[in-house]
Amino acid sequence: MEYFMSVSVMIAIFVILAASYNLVIGYGGLATVAHPIFFALGAYTAALLAIHTGLPAVLCVLAGAAVATVASVLLAASSLRVSGDYLLIASLGFQLGLLQVIRNFEWTGGPGGLTDIPATITGAARTPAYLAICGAAAVATVVFIAWIVRGPYGRAITAMRDEELAFTALGRNAMSMKVALFAIGCGIAGIAGGLYAFYFQYLSPEQFDVLQSAAILTMVVLGGMGTTWGPVVGAALLLAVPQAITFLDLPPSIMAPMQGIIFTGLVLVFLFVRPAGLIGASGRGAMPAALGVHDHSGDGA
Amino acid sequence: MTEILRLTGVCKAFGGIVVADNVTLSIDAGEIVGLIGPNGAGKTSLFNLISGVVKPDAGRIVLHGEPIDRMPLYRRARAGIARTWQNMLLFTSMSVMENLLIAPRDYPGESVLRLAFGRGDIRRSEAEMRARGLAILARMDLTQAADSLVTDLPFGHQKLVGLARTLMNDGALLLLDEPMAGVEGAAYETMQRVVREEAASGRAVCVVEHNVSFIKDLCTRAVFMAQGRILQTGSVHELLASKVLTELYFGV
Amino acid sequence: MTDPIVLLQILWTGAVTASSFVLLTVAFSLTQKVTGLWNFAQAGTMGIAFYAMYFVLNDLAMPLLVALPVAAVTAAVTGMATEAWGLDVLRARRSGNLTFFIFTLILAELVIYILTLLFGTEPQTLFGSIMSPVRIVGGIAISDWDLRAVAITVSALVALQLFLRLSKEGQFLIAVADNAKLAELYGISARRAYCVTAAIAGVLITLAMYLLGARSGITPNSSMELILTAVIGTLLGGMGRVFMGGLASLVLALITSYSVLVIGSRWQNLLIYGFLFVAIVVFPNGIHLPRRRIRAPVATAPAQTAAQEG
Repeated sequence: MEYFMSVSVMIAIFVILAASYNLVIGYGGLATVAHPIFFALGAYTAALLAIHTGLPAVLCVLAGAAVATVASVLLAASSLRVSGDYLLIASLGFQLGLLQVIRNFEWTGGPGGLTDIPATITGAARTPAYLAICGAAAVATVVFIAWIVRGPYGRAITAMRDEELAFTALGRNAMSMKVALFAIGCGIAGIAGGLYAFYFQYLSPEQFDVLQSAAILTMVVLGGMGTTWGPVVGAALLLAVPQAITFLDLPPSIMAPMQGIIFTGLVLVFLFVRPAGLIGASGRGAMPAALGVHDHSGDGA
Repeated sequence: MTEILRLTGVCKAFGGIVVADNVTLSIDAGEIVGLIGPNGAGKTSLFNLISGVVKPDAGRIVLHGEPIDRMPLYRRARAGIARTWQNMLLFTSMSVMENLLIAPRDYPGESVLRLAFGRGDIRRSEAEMRARGLAILARMDLTQAADSLVTDLPFGHQKLVGLARTLMNDGALLLLDEPMAGVEGAAYETMQRVVREEAASGRAVCVVEHNVSFIKDLCTRAVFMAQGRILQTGSVHELLASKVLTELYFGV
Repeated sequence: MTDPIVLLQILWTGAVTASSFVLLTVAFSLTQKVTGLWNFAQAGTMGIAFYAMYFVLNDLAMPLLVALPVAAVTAAVTGMATEAWGLDVLRARRSGNLTFFIFTLILAELVIYILTLLFGTEPQTLFGSIMSPVRIVGGIAISDWDLRAVAITVSALVALQLFLRLSKEGQFLIAVADNAKLAELYGISARRAYCVTAAIAGVLITLAMYLLGARSGITPNSSMELILTAVIGTLLGGMGRVFMGGLASLVLALITSYSVLVIGSRWQNLLIYGFLFVAIVVFPNGIHLPRRRIRAPVATAPAQTAAQEG
């Protein structure tokens, strides 16, 4: 029972991550890969505040979200100025660079990781309590994002993704919309980070690396980009299925890469056969708008 | 006649190619100016310069008396420049009505703050916009298509939707980039009628077109461009009577 | 302040170590130039090349003269297969940048996982011992291996340059790089150009992994770090400027080598990422040396098309 509940806590946290990442790439159409670094910023900020100050956990988590939001605005504003594609490389560089900093500072725990994060809830009811908190946060995230993308704002986001030039020529500031979406997505990832830090009580740079980026990307693509429930399904699958495989009792040196192979393989298959993901519209032709491109050559003469 | 747009000495070159060579032009409210000339003359480039897709190397662009040449694209649209595109650039995931609802220049539902605190506002605007959109569609005999996906419509109707979207944008200056290309029959008549109505109601209209009869029927004035330069302006009749220009145009 | 001999030694050793990075950057930059894609799948190719050599050398106990070509062919073939069966399909579907990115990154991850499964996570070098005769020239230690590395790198680059400049196939690559649609109108097959580029990249990557793998321990995950340096070099050199990218990588590697005199070695990696960020934000079009050449304005897509047709 304890085991299922702890897996569920992780699923809840990753639902928050996947849903917020989906907002950025599925709805906003922004190609980025550095979602884990905002997860990390939230986690480390919350953890360090908890360790060095007496601030209550809720404030630490909120501070983590604030740091993640500010960092994301700076990153987006500077790289989108150049072009949309640049955000991709810039975010990758930012992620790996910041991880390198974390790895080299004793203050953030160095390569060994940050361990003495104070316990907030103790006792037998710890896991159920965390499950309730993280579960509630996951539900709130999914509902909030669904609310944002409904109605006129969602319509604007879709239009921006469909034809950004025409959208801009109607008087819309596409850049500020992108920065806003990015900030909201990364801020939410920061909250997930804070929750993660307090639950897991151990942070190390490996947890926020490119492999994590690929994992979250897998959740969103498999589940269905640009849908409400896609990230939920994706997160649940990507966390639950490997757990199921552990029961096969394979040695870890085989199991870990095996899980990786299964999931990356699945993403590739889906990308070609069913780009809309599990939740998205069916059929080969159905491609989420975020994955397509519109040919503008011929606007001349 | 109020002057809406004035270009003075606008120049633009890409690498070695001059697309605008000392262009001086003004468009008043109520005019329908036809921009004609051979391919590669710089007509669409001029639209790109006016609307803000590219910035001029030299010269001034003034809208309603305010210089706009340093303004980014989206601000020029807000200032009152509305344009159509050769490739239409309709929002393909959405229906006709949704395409129109995006078009008004200032829309409360699109600010996250307003989303949180102004729900009543948003509901009201949504209803107003919808009514406006339906009215425009009615003028184009497209009411029944309001909820169809734009990609489901025949080509001519798609072009009308492009025009409708631009009208919803409600800019004082209307730039139409080859609106007639590939359009015939009823859609053609409709487009002519609507453009005439818009000019009559006080908009300044500038049209890039290759369709000579459209220019003859509709335009109050014509401007002939070649290699980035304005060679001649005047009434359509005068321009079309000029041997020199017809040679340039049809490349005899 | 510091002994000039030490400085020269660092210069030499740094340049030698940089050779593999130069080759990797050239491979990446060439691919970016011709196909327009940031092909992260090359991280997978790097692993394949290394482990193919490792397998042939250690498990099949064959000499280098067999291992190197086998690996080069494997790398080239996998690159071309990715082109023909993966990237081409995505292109036909008018996929956006995000799709290509997801595909190449996830493909690289898949390859890394497969290699982890087959070879484990322990660092491996290609050869057991890494000793090689050293001679002292003007106070600097130069090993036979150093000379070999430099010779291989220089010949590869010269061969590439000659190929691009003088051969018809090379000219086709440049044409497609400039304007694929226009090239097609002249009867040049873009798909063929992409395949040829993939093959060349495969060979360059194999050489790079040979140079790297002979001296340092490589794990399946190493390629992710390596591709980052290729990206940085490509950015700093300027997109479309393949050899400048190589030069940028060389300079970067030298700066990193010299930095050990001033900052702790653990910060060297951070220096690289710092450069990446500066490159992205300050030099998005690469570092342009001040020359009498007129700098082309950065145009937006419709403007560029307008320039071609307007």
